[in-house]
Amino acid sequence: MKDIMRIKCLLSSDVETLLNQQIKKEALSSSIYLSMASWCNRNGYDFSSDYFFKQAEEERHHQLKFYKYVLDMGGNAISPEVTDIKLEYNSFREVFEEALDQEISVTQSIKNIAARCHKEQDYVTLEFLNWFFKEQREEEYKARRALELFEVIGEEGTGRWQIDKHVGQIKYDSEA
Amino acid sequence: MQKTAVFSQVNFVEVFSTKQGAVFQSDSEYCWYIDFAGKLARFDYRNLLKLRQAINNIDIEQILLNSGKTADVEIIFICACDHCYVLSLLEVIAMKELLSGTFVMLELNHIIQDRLFRIVA
Ligand SMILES: [Fe+2]
Ligand SMILES: [Fe+2]
Repeated sequence: MKDIMRIKCLLSSDVETLLNQQIKKEALSSSIYLSMASWCNRNGYDFSSDYFFKQAEEERHHQLKFYKYVLDMGGNAISPEVTDIKLEYNSFREVFEEALDQEISVTQSIKNIAARCHKEQDYVTLEFLNWFFKEQREEEYKARRALELFEVIGEEGTGRWQIDKHVGQIKYDSEA
Repeated sequence: MQKTAVFSQVNFVEVFSTKQGAVFQSDSEYCWYIDFAGKLARFDYRNLLKLRQAINNIDIEQILLNSGKTADVEIIFICACDHCYVLSLLEVIAMKELLSGTFVMLELNHIIQDRLFRIVA
């Protein structure tokens, strides 16, 4: 009897489901960042707004990367529905706290997919995920650095203006 | 998985069966035939997965607890598939059992193919 399931698709249905959940998570990230860009813009934080616009685009790119991978492997990529995006934030600082939370949750979620791949010896998907692990290193670094500006510069006086200016300059250029 | 039945010159291999139904695979057509609820229906790879999804999405518990007067009949319609099932709750449960057994057997076949033909010992 032919192994039709495997002939049609490289992914197990569990891994395919996890990848589709990740597609949704990346889409959610993109929408959250877009909302943050809007909030920052409305409140006069132009550099931060630009920073979040760029992040939103990156997340969209991540979503498509997962999306195309699922299709390339013979799976069914599902275009996600994204709802309940927060429109208002209580403070400038809260925006960055939530940005870091979001990145941490993405890293944890990709780690969970990798654990599943290890379990079923799906080294092909594991190799694909490596790109994302490197990316998450950078994403978490940038989000953490941004939040640290609130401690280093302080919010008093022209502090928030200073913080905003520095957010645009955060870079991760580790060779490791 | 050894039993072979011949229906109208198509070679079927039985994948899994219960008292209520059976699933056969056709290697030449790359598809499955499901003998259930009084009919034999052909499903290709995509449609078989969609059928499983549709059946698994039915909340059996919710239907059991529902005290409304509507009949507990589920209509299973699959996009781009010629077949449609109108099933009672008991049939839904039987179909769920049939499909989960089928997927276990397909997984087992995958492992056997790997061990016998694909992996260098
Ligand atoms: Fe991402
Ligand atoms: Fe990110």
